[in-house]
Amino acid sequence: MADRTMTALDAVKGGLWTELPVLRLLLGMCPTLAVTTAVKPALTMGLSVLFVLFCSNIVVSFMRKLLKPHLRILMFTLTIATFVTIADLFLRAFVPRMSEMLGPYVPLIIVNCIIIARAEACASKNGIFVSAVDAISMGIGFTVVLCILAAVREMLAVGTVWDIPVLWKGFVPWAAMRMPVGAFITLGLMIGLVNFMTKTKAN
Amino acid sequence: MFKAIRHYVQQSWLLLVSAFVFGLLLALANTAWSPRVQQNKKDKLNGLMKSLITDANRFEIVCEDVQVDIGRGKIVKTDVYKAVGADGNDAGFCFRAEGMGFADKIELVIGVDAAFERIAGYSVLASNETPGFGDRIKGDYFRRQFAGAPVMKLGLSKSGDACKIDNEVIAISGATVSSTAVVNVFNNYLEQVKERLKQKGLVR
Repeated sequence: MADRTMTALDAVKGGLWTELPVLRLLLGMCPTLAVTTAVKPALTMGLSVLFVLFCSNIVVSFMRKLLKPHLRILMFTLTIATFVTIADLFLRAFVPRMSEMLGPYVPLIIVNCIIIARAEACASKNGIFVSAVDAISMGIGFTVVLCILAAVREMLAVGTVWDIPVLWKGFVPWAAMRMPVGAFITLGLMIGLVNFMTKTKAN
Repeated sequence: MFKAIRHYVQQSWLLLVSAFVFGLLLALANTAWSPRVQQNKKDKLNGLMKSLITDANRFEIVCEDVQVDIGRGKIVKTDVYKAVGADGNDAGFCFRAEGMGFADKIELVIGVDAAFERIAGYSVLASNETPGFGDRIKGDYFRRQFAGAPVMKLGLSKSGDACKIDNEVIAISGATVSSTAVVNVFNNYLEQVKERLKQKGLVR
């Protein structure tokens, strides 16, 4: 596998806009739809993914020249599972309330396509620095999208953002926004907006 | 033979070394944080029990591993805690209870009075019921109906006076399965736990 297929600048641009994991590549849909009922769990999930992505990208990049093609996926999974278990233990020890709210979605980071995709597409082909930058930008892109989606849903479902009331007194909460239908509609609108912006720019 | 071993080691040494290093890392993290995780669990349980029996000063386990048949041949174990008031008198009993809800298992903490005749209430320890519907089992409307209800077989009605405290519980509109699940948990546990405490001479 040839090294240096991308630069750090490509990684930053990719993670934050051109390859935005949720809105452009449609990766990581499971946590995106499931944990975005409020901003706090969404931010916790985003930071957990960022941590796992960062650690796994560095480890995979470090051992990229030693990887046998047929053991590649096995090594990725082993690496990711280790860091996910550490993140899960950390949350249960220090942020138990968030750990309860996120439930099985933290252990499910192991099968998050963003992390496996970045290990395969970036970390196994690039140096440690580029892989680390790629992980940080992808992680930030994922976290920001999750937080925006969660903020919209929390505001319309409960009238708060980060548990702070932001809407007028007497606002009737939209119960549907707390349910999967709310996540799908908001996500669809966000994807539409990103596509519209890209199209407008291209024209 | 040696050729085969050599081939095996050549192919898998990275996997074996990584598994060892990652295992070590996980063992270290677990050793460092598991006491805190256990403490968090204890604190949560104590907090919920305290919210159910407000007179309690401390809780002590009086009956360990009480076997409860929760239906379909499934037997689960639970510990029964005795609540001791500031004056040293018994203030009630608490125990964890579980049953199948609409989406997943529902885990409750149930409190009863010292004579095991009236329910003190319940709190939800864990549940994944539908937001906006089934998760209203955590709300006051439903929980209030259990506080003060007699320890006997509870029934569930779709309509009625929710303020009247008796053995008839009014279901949450749109969440009949979750409501039934909570009532079933009470019906499964109350009788069997009371029987065990009677055997131990803790209640009459």
